[in-house]
Amino acid sequence: MLTIKNLVFSVTEQQDDSGEARKEIIRGLDYSFTQGKFYAVTGPNGSGKTTLGKLIMGIHVPDSGEIIFDGRDIVKLSISERAHLGIAFSFQHPARFKGMKFRDLLAIAAGTDDKEVLRRILLRVGLCSLDFLDKEVGSKLSGGEIKKVELATTIARNPRLAIYDEPDTGIDLWTIGPMVDLLKKERHEHGTTTIVVSHNEKFLEAADEVILLKDGAIAHAGTFLETLPMLKDLDLCSFGNICQEVTNARCYR
Amino acid sequence: MLDAIDKNLLKAVADLETIPKGAYNIRKNGRLESRNVTANIDIVTNEDNSGIDITVAPGTVNESLHIPVILNQVDLLDVVQNRFFIGEDADVIIIAGCGIHCGSDKPEGHTGIHEFYLKKGSKIRYVEKHYAAGPGSGKRTLNPVTKVFLEENAHAEMDLVQIGGVDRADRKNEAELGPGSSLLITEKVMTDGKQKAVSNNRIILRGKDSRAELISRSVIKGNSKQDFFGSIEAYAACYGHLECDAIVMDKGTNETVPALRSFHPDAELTHEAAIGKIANDQLMKLMSLGLDYDEAVNRIIQGFLQ
Repeated sequence: MLTIKNLVFSVTEQQDDSGEARKEIIRGLDYSFTQGKFYAVTGPNGSGKTTLGKLIMGIHVPDSGEIIFDGRDIVKLSISERAHLGIAFSFQHPARFKGMKFRDLLAIAAGTDDKEVLRRILLRVGLCSLDFLDKEVGSKLSGGEIKKVELATTIARNPRLAIYDEPDTGIDLWTIGPMVDLLKKERHEHGTTTIVVSHNEKFLEAADEVILLKDGAIAHAGTFLETLPMLKDLDLCSFGNICQEVTNARCYR
Repeated sequence: MLDAIDKNLLKAVADLETIPKGAYNIRKNGRLESRNVTANIDIVTNEDNSGIDITVAPGTVNESLHIPVILNQVDLLDVVQNRFFIGEDADVIIIAGCGIHCGSDKPEGHTGIHEFYLKKGSKIRYVEKHYAAGPGSGKRTLNPVTKVFLEENAHAEMDLVQIGGVDRADRKNEAELGPGSSLLITEKVMTDGKQKAVSNNRIILRGKDSRAELISRSVIKGNSKQDFFGSIEAYAACYGHLECDAIVMDKGTNETVPALRSFHPDAELTHEAAIGKIANDQLMKLMSLGLDYDEAVNRIIQGFLQ
């Protein structure tokens, strides 16, 4: 349902010698995602995981390459056009809105302000209290609460392809298990193709396929058990170039 | 008689489709249009004929008072001075507002001075909306002045809104709080084109355990300018908070000057202030929910001024 062909994305970087240079974040990436499967994208910091998700949603525009969704190249489509095609993105650090109630945000996501529809979405994501709808999506929400809001607005879209960027950030350890179950249930009941960007083993275990990114390219793709040895491979450690120069360095990974 | 334009203005500033139930006083072009009093809420024209005195009997609850002002007379600069005397333990809602319809190139304006005297344990919720419209190019001025005096354990909640179409606004809010009393002022102002609005605020926390919160939300579009000056002074063990946020769009400008002045060691005063454009992460989020850029901007502004 989603095929990525030779995708390249770079940013301008300031150099020490006062010049500017292009740095490639995604370097000629190719991959095909199958309808209804659960994918986990993992890899060291700076490997391009979040960038890949944002390129699919249209938040970043690639230098070159194709993103084929249901047989159509969507590279030139805007974020909202992609949203209308059924792509949804759950942000790692969700935006907060002064004055906007959760009810308003959820109504935008669901395309209706019908109370019963909103109530059913809340139940679907395990938010039992209807009072939560009247909370402002502002600075007073805790880290865990804002992530639940983010999750609910993503699921409310009934997306065909849902991308979750580090959904466990700010969530307590006891909530991660139910969150994994929720995403699996959504995939099972609604056939949602699910891509989760995460370091968390629980998401990697749940995935049909784990995609391991390193330096903007796919280092390995396979089942969790197949990928496990690669995850432990020291070559993937982003601190390698620091600790290799130090005698008796302790590994903090 | 109220014509169609008057009715539109009344709807915009006071949400009134018809003549309200309960006590009301409608002022049109500097004169009394109609009035109703109730057993508990009395309205009389004041001695120098410059406005009205409203007296709410002690213990009055579940009653509301509407006092809208409408203007469509060319070259009229209406000044009105109203006083509100709220009896002990009363709890009422007051809906005020001024609507200007300008049909010529001549200026029209209104200065409304409202003084509130709240007795022990009384409560008010005061809603004031200002709005101007019409095809004329005449300058529309609205200069509201609000003064609040709270006795022991009194509580006032004030929503002050300037919706749009006002060319010049010189806004003043002043309050003095007695022991255990509390005040929440929320001021929301939107300007566009070449409009200018200035808001001056001074809150004096005089009594022990008094609490005041002043929240200002500004949306500054086009080449408009809005300035906000807010000061909270504390003379007792009390709590005060000042929050001022401005969203600047296009080429608008803003000066925000919050001031906290403590004259008592147990006073707790805080403030937060921010001026900036609409945050990119908010736009991205709403667009990822299917809104286009303009819809996303509108929803963010709507929420901000809600």
